Amino acid sequence: MKEELKKIELLLENPNKIQEVALKNILKSLFPKISNHIDNYIGDYPTFIEPVYLAENVQIGDDVLLGPNVYIGSNVKIGNYVELSNTIIFDNVSIGNNFKLENCLIAPNSHLNFENFKCKSSVLIGDAASEKDLRKIIF
Amino acid sequence: MHENNEEEISRIKELESINLASPEIRDSVVSTKKSIEKENELLASKINTTLKTHNIKSFDIVGAIGAGKTEIISQIVEKLYTKYKILVICGDIITRVDANRIEAHNADTVQINTGRECALNAYHIHQIIKNKDLNKYDLLFIENVGNLICPSDFILGTDKRIVVVSITEGEWVIEKHPMLFKMSDIAVINKIDLKERLGTNVDKMINDAKRINPNIEIITTSAKKDTNIDKLISHMGL
Repeated sequence: MKEELKKIELLLENPNKIQEVALKNILKSLFPKISNHIDNYIGDYPTFIEPVYLAENVQIGDDVLLGPNVYIGSNVKIGNYVELSNTIIFDNVSIGNNFKLENCLIAPNSHLNFENFKCKSSVLIGDAASEKDLRKIIF
Repeated sequence: MHENNEEEISRIKELESINLASPEIRDSVVSTKKSIEKENELLASKINTTLKTHNIKSFDIVGAIGAGKTEIISQIVEKLYTKYKILVICGDIITRVDANRIEAHNADTVQINTGRECALNAYHIHQIIKNKDLNKYDLLFIENVGNLICPSDFILGTDKRIVVVSITEGEWVIEKHPMLFKMSDIAVINKIDLKERLGTNVDKMINDAKRINPNIEIITTSAKKDTNIDKLISHMGL
């Protein structure tokens, strides 16, 4: 799992040059390797559909559904009414209320500080106070 | 819609009682509730079609905590794993205890921790089966969250539903929970090995089940003692 995550992080360092096929192949390799690790979050009781891996210091809001195939890095804050499936969130990220992400990646140190956002098959990057501020690369 | 009304609707959905809605939002709450029920039914139908297309027989097993659902499933899996490729989806508020127990008997498992939700719904099942290679399986069990109330709100798209009660819950348990028995195909009265010690009126339990649902098949079992598990498997058509 760590190997694939590292490869994805390297790809995200050059977002202009992300190769769709390479990314899809890494994700295909990664998802079966996500192990379940969910006993260490801060927050109320979300719904988990395994496998879901939570790193350190993950804060989760109310009425959240995570999984299957979700990895959440350390120091991540997830708002209320969020649903994530087949999604990777790297370290030091925050996302707002009422997000529904399917097959997405959020780059490290991104802060999506807005609400009511649905997205599929995209890389999401940057600090954004609204959807229009967000860098989105569809794959 | 005003932000306070949205919050109130959210709170009322959690409480699942439209009677708590203030008059100005009652219609919205009723409409939302109906919409959710319809969506669940549509999704359950889609799940059933998908499973049938892959020739997967499927069972939803409901019952209170401690009725014996996990032990029954474990026993069935132990007897059938050489004949079927089995997937078991386990629903619990928290922990992976049941999935771990069943895995020891040679089935693949997926655990859903529902947090604050007291039953699995069709969306949970849909999310699992759309991410699974269904060609690997021909038998699916879903062990629902342990209680005799909430699972009646959501059908899951399986071929049959089995409700499990145990004689340790008392002889009035079926009379007090008619909805799930109306919606089930098979009723299992478990822990029958304790009948003499407890003096539970099992005949009343059987009569109650038949009165509520004349078509329901009823089997008394002891999962621990392997009593009538083969008979249950036969009733399931496996």
